[in-house]
Amino acid sequence: MSNPTTSKAIAAPGDSAPGPATGPSIAPRSAAPRLPSGDASVGRVMNDRRKDLIQKFAALAGLVVLITVFASTSDAFLSVGNGMTIALQVTSIAYLGIAATCVIITGGIDLSVGSVLALSGVVAALAVKAGVPVPLGMGLGILVGAFCGVLNGLCVTRLKLPPFIATLGMMMVARGVALQITGARAVSGLGESFGELGNGALFRIVNIGEDGFPDVVFPGIPYPVVLMVVIAIAVAIMLSRTTLGRHIYAVGSNAEAARLSGVNVARVTLFTYVLSGTLAGLTGCVLMSRLVTAQPNEGVMYELDAIASAVIGGTSLIGGVGTISGTAIGAFVIGILRNGLNMNGVSSFTQQIIIGLVILLTVWIDQIRNRR
Amino acid sequence: MQQASPDTAAGRSRHPPDQLSAGAELLRLEGITKRFPGVLALDGVGFDLRRGEVHAVCGENGAGKSTLMKIISGQYQPDEGTIHYKGEARRFASSLDAERAGIAIIHQELNLVPHLSVAENIFLAREPKRGWFVDRAALRRQAQACLDRLGVDIRPDAPVKALSVAQCQMVEIAKALSLNAEVVIMDEPTSSLTESETALLFQVIGDLKAQGVGIVYISHRLDEMALIVDRVTVLRDGRFVDTRRFADTSVDAIVALMVGRSLDDKFPERTSVPTADVLLEARGLTRKGVFHDIGFELRRGEILGFAGLMGAGRTEVARAIFGADPLDAGQIRLGGRDIAVKSPRDAIGHGIAYLSEDRKGQGLAVKMSVMQNLTLANMAAVSNRFGFIDRAAEAQVAWRYINLLSIRTPSQHQVARLLSGGNQQKIVIAKWLFRQSRILFFDEPTRGIDVGAKFAIYQLLDRLAADGIGVVLISSELPEILGLTDRVAVFHEGRLTAVLNTRDTSQEEIMHFASGHDRPPAPGAATP
Repeated sequence: MSNPTTSKAIAAPGDSAPGPATGPSIAPRSAAPRLPSGDASVGRVMNDRRKDLIQKFAALAGLVVLITVFASTSDAFLSVGNGMTIALQVTSIAYLGIAATCVIITGGIDLSVGSVLALSGVVAALAVKAGVPVPLGMGLGILVGAFCGVLNGLCVTRLKLPPFIATLGMMMVARGVALQITGARAVSGLGESFGELGNGALFRIVNIGEDGFPDVVFPGIPYPVVLMVVIAIAVAIMLSRTTLGRHIYAVGSNAEAARLSGVNVARVTLFTYVLSGTLAGLTGCVLMSRLVTAQPNEGVMYELDAIASAVIGGTSLIGGVGTISGTAIGAFVIGILRNGLNMNGVSSFTQQIIIGLVILLTVWIDQIRNRR
Repeated sequence: MQQASPDTAAGRSRHPPDQLSAGAELLRLEGITKRFPGVLALDGVGFDLRRGEVHAVCGENGAGKSTLMKIISGQYQPDEGTIHYKGEARRFASSLDAERAGIAIIHQELNLVPHLSVAENIFLAREPKRGWFVDRAALRRQAQACLDRLGVDIRPDAPVKALSVAQCQMVEIAKALSLNAEVVIMDEPTSSLTESETALLFQVIGDLKAQGVGIVYISHRLDEMALIVDRVTVLRDGRFVDTRRFADTSVDAIVALMVGRSLDDKFPERTSVPTADVLLEARGLTRKGVFHDIGFELRRGEILGFAGLMGAGRTEVARAIFGADPLDAGQIRLGGRDIAVKSPRDAIGHGIAYLSEDRKGQGLAVKMSVMQNLTLANMAAVSNRFGFIDRAAEAQVAWRYINLLSIRTPSQHQVARLLSGGNQQKIVIAKWLFRQSRILFFDEPTRGIDVGAKFAIYQLLDRLAADGIGVVLISSELPEILGLTDRVAVFHEGRLTAVLNTRDTSQEEIMHFASGHDRPPAPGAATP
């Protein structure tokens, strides 16, 4: 800025006597005519707020209703142990859902996460099998996921491929590579330490009874659940409180306006795909660790669960709209439905039908909300 | 149900005597009231339309024009009031219902399918069939007949995406004709047309009048109306103000009715004085096939006008200087130093800002709040070095600019989409003020903005110049150029034909250069 005085006058125009004294005050007339449009928007805002609250509470209330129904049909449902089981089952949907939310807010989509998590998991397992220490092996797996994300992001930002196509390609390539390098066989015999991340727990309290058998006082919080909470909070803060998060919403709301406002649209878009790939890599490591086996066929259709959890949570596939809290609720809706239906002996086919209907219902509610 | 007369400010009869217009009555609305949650959009409004007349509806944004049009075309149902169409009391349950009855609406945003042909668009969902299949020969023949009736030269086979905006408008009108429409509603039909295209449209409107079609005409361009409009109805704040014969009134009188007071001046007095200090210098700017060898200087505190016809390259030059489009050749000098601008980020870093003519498409993130739009170009100023936003500081900035520019919004968290055009424009301006821009390119800043808000924008331009900012005003409205600028650069087909001192020039001289001459008009021989 070669002229600081000028900048200052404009930068702080709200202060006393900006500009020369002869200058007219900035808009004395615009306030004069009564524009009903302003009043109209006041009315609409009240409506908007109400609708937003209804939407947030509808999802939460749905969750409460599900819990109540399942608690009444199955005694075992409402226990600490089952709570932890559900939380553990939800983790993979949640990791992927959180990543999907960021991608979808920019107006993109990532269909490759199910395959990428399989590739990351088997890479980690093969590395460990080859003698690499477990943390390093898993780190390598996550790096592979991130690299897939970079490729996705470059295809979208540099080659200008539609995100659907770019990630569909990656979905096939990553799955193919995972099958190729394992010969389509599961990688097992990984040793106990490989299972630590997926099966260990924080604050687990076990008393060794007098008879020598362990007595589990508190099953502990599984590491994957701890990770889920940490990631959810971190990404939620990133989206709502940081410049990067604001730019993610701006790109999804209007990419051209964002570009003309100086937002580095390509870099922001790339970031969301890298985040998605990284979290897919993490999901792969956690899943394989839980099974202590790496399956190249793991994670098929997980991308759809991830997208479903984001959509149930109010993320718009058109872009510009979505929150992590909503996605978390969406992930739990899916997880609790699966768990509760399982406990009630509902077949997995019927479960699919029900979850499909729930997605249709929530998106329909969202459509009604947006109709004006 | 006959309502008591909702009349009116002027206190004259709402039903104008017959001698005002010769044709038989086609449409009559009485006591139309429409409520939306929290808003009374229309309050006992009356309106009538005769065969073979053009009846303009005027009012500021939010006066209720579009609501009224949506009621006539069946998209909304009135809460109270009656609609008589061709002498019968009618209610249109849907726009399809109204369309079948012969009422067609041509929206400001044209509703054509870009990938289909002209003929397919005209008969969309009403294709002539032979058995289960579309009768393509009949489709083409009937479309050709509609286009012939308009006397426009558009091939029925042409894909709509290859047409200009004006041609699309003609296709919409052809579609209305194919419906045997007796009432055609036109919403801002000329807002994106060039002068010659507008002339063609007016010719077509004249033909429609002669064929007994009644036309409801909505436009912000009051001065154009004299050419075609027979009567004008003014709405304000959802209420009927008056219906007058256009010949018996004036643009100024209509504006006074619209805003409820008289506007002594359309333009504020310029308070700023340009300095001799050159802020921005462009030399030999060229983008192949778009503009060629453009050079000009912008001084501190100056408002420089970019005049020219639509497509003359004004917007393109501004976008290239802003880094939004690439340059093939040329230098940009800022404060005497050459600068390289490869992207909008670079330009913004140098204090250059471009305010697009397409606010919703390129200026605003419409789903984001007023506050988020205000700070989008300068997030660094409201966040720490780790990128965490200081929410209190951001809210403070938002309020400062909302107050400074009198942006009418219920809160800084209001979604930008829900604000009126004038207020949206102010948000975009505030965004660049907060970025401390020193050079602002305004591209058609008052397009689609109502009269009262326009004046506020004009004052703002003057204030910016007074604060030492270099302002470039790209405008197709010559009165705006003449009323506000210090100098005017005139473009013609990608070339700069003249840079004139606004004080010494005239509308005629600018038009002379804008139509391609590069020498001043011969004395005495005024160019039209």
